[in-house]
Amino acid sequence: MRKFCIYGKGGIGKSTIVSNIAAALAEDNNMTVMVMGCDPKSDSTRNLAGRRISTVLDVFRAKGPDKMKLEEIVFEGFNGVYCVESGGPEPGVGCAGRGVITAADMLVRLGAYNDLKPDVVIYDVLGDVVCGGFAMPLRQGLADDVYIVTTCDPMAIYAANNISKGIKRFADRSEVFLGGIIYNGRSVVDEPTIIESFAARLGAKVMGKILMSKLIPRAEIRRKTVLEYAPDSEIADLFRDLAFALYENEDRIIPEPLSDVELDEINEEIEVLLREKEQA
Amino acid sequence: MDGCKFFGAFRACSGIKDAVVLSHCPVGCNWGAMILKNTSNQSDIRQACTVMHEREIVFGGEEALREALVRADKLYNTPLLAVIAGCAPTVIGDDIEAVVNSVELNKEVVWMDAAGFKDNMGKGYEEALVHLARLMKECETVEKSVNLIGFCPDDFKVDADLKEIKRLLNHAGIKVNCVISKCSFHEFVNAPAAELNVVMGQGTELAEHMKREFGVPYLAVGYPYGLEGTTDFINAICEHLHIEAKEKELDFELESFKRIYLYLHELYGTPVSVIGDFHAESMANFLDRELGFDIEVLNSNEDDYYTFEQNVRASNTTILFGSSFERNIAVELRIPLVRFTYPVFDHVCVYDDAPFAGFRGAVCLTETILNAVMGFGTKEINKYITK
Repeated sequence: MRKFCIYGKGGIGKSTIVSNIAAALAEDNNMTVMVMGCDPKSDSTRNLAGRRISTVLDVFRAKGPDKMKLEEIVFEGFNGVYCVESGGPEPGVGCAGRGVITAADMLVRLGAYNDLKPDVVIYDVLGDVVCGGFAMPLRQGLADDVYIVTTCDPMAIYAANNISKGIKRFADRSEVFLGGIIYNGRSVVDEPTIIESFAARLGAKVMGKILMSKLIPRAEIRRKTVLEYAPDSEIADLFRDLAFALYENEDRIIPEPLSDVELDEINEEIEVLLREKEQA
Repeated sequence: MDGCKFFGAFRACSGIKDAVVLSHCPVGCNWGAMILKNTSNQSDIRQACTVMHEREIVFGGEEALREALVRADKLYNTPLLAVIAGCAPTVIGDDIEAVVNSVELNKEVVWMDAAGFKDNMGKGYEEALVHLARLMKECETVEKSVNLIGFCPDDFKVDADLKEIKRLLNHAGIKVNCVISKCSFHEFVNAPAAELNVVMGQGTELAEHMKREFGVPYLAVGYPYGLEGTTDFINAICEHLHIEAKEKELDFELESFKRIYLYLHELYGTPVSVIGDFHAESMANFLDRELGFDIEVLNSNEDDYYTFEQNVRASNTTILFGSSFERNIAVELRIPLVRFTYPVFDHVCVYDDAPFAGFRGAVCLTETILNAVMGFGTKEINKYITK
């Protein structure tokens, strides 16, 4: 079973990437794929399932741990991808981090891995590793490695660096590793070299690039992945390439997070590029 | 070995005899608080709990608290509902104040944050009393009356000790207005009627508060163990209230000691160790000053327990004074344990004429110590010898 997590700043395109690569890996009955959304907003699998599905914690809340069943929390989406959402409390109450842990426990307890036997499990985790709960997918061998999505924006890079700190903690204990960086070209300046140099400083490589494309929002408005909405498009192929690059990747590293000074240097590079863009 | 802030708050609140305590916590904290409180008072169950489970941790415990408030209000016909929040709701940030304010109840409600990870038992007791003090009202001062502050409803021998302390104070012409915290809601509310607050080991923050808010002065005294300890106790209070203390009570109690004179002579110089809350120091004073014991190790609950055990092992201690927690080390060292301080959960005390405090307490305590030594009989010792 190949299992990996996608992390990255909020709104960076994690769910878009996760749902499209899941659809790509499951294409032509190639593999059994499971996607677990670990975000209280529970919208990771919306484009795969075509709707909002009941979350693990919704069912947990209504029925309690002993009476809930696997079929109440796992839903088949496009290309037969198994979709799971951890769910969580309403904004501002309870403990969403504990919710992720509870949901992960329930999945194991209900046999999601043993009975459904997915070939690939992809975790889509919210913006940042804010507490122990959101680091859950990094622990206990739930995932082999992590891929961080970032654009060229300073705050996205900053978040990616912060996530690397979380990964390093668990990588030092051999629980999980950094697999690489996924570059999303949808930003103010689209300059892959910035991300390549950032990844190099972390000790990682860039696994693929997603282009800015109007097809993505169009597909998402229709609650579809690009692979479903425009399977023959260039962007669909990009997702296919990325999917297999991640699936087949065997390079796993312990990241060396950047210092604030190094992050400032990257900021300056971005600023220079911005100025050039304005003059042009 | 000290309890946490939650336990301190629980003990303070449950001391108001007609209050119901609603603990907002998982089941274990509630169970622990109850089991230590009810060893010698099994009919006094006035506690409710939200019993937080994983569901409440993830989604917040506010709904469970709201439901528990309404139910406890219906279930108990009491004037006061004290809500104590433990660790779990504090970690996840339940908005307890908002929930408490959102329900209409038939009783007064006082709530407090008593997360165990924030502080120790003593602090929980102090803070809880100050929270409860907002129920107090301005009263006409009753002359020659005092409040006794520092008690808990689950202190070992508390009923007997209070009966004796009240007897002695009454004898000296002093009225006990309110015992905190072992009183009715009505007594608590009217506590400011006292001329003086007598603080016995803990409750200083409440005394400070009452001094500020109601102008009631306070006097800090030790726990009245022994003849001298009790005399000091009464004299200090009498002096403060400008009363001349009567001495004749003392002569009567000395007769009992004369009857066991030889044993007391024999035990003179016995090395002993004492551990406990604030009672420990007063106990050590009694043992040292009045029985002539040598205090080897004297420890407060707030000190490191491991060090205490090591020090006791390294000493010549032949009698240990403490709580039920000291049972193991006493068994290990094959020495008798005299239980005198919270928590005592392997002995009961229901007879309220056998105190440890006061003049009569001095006799009972001495009797208990002698019997602990004499009763540490051959059977017990043989068990170790044949090992």
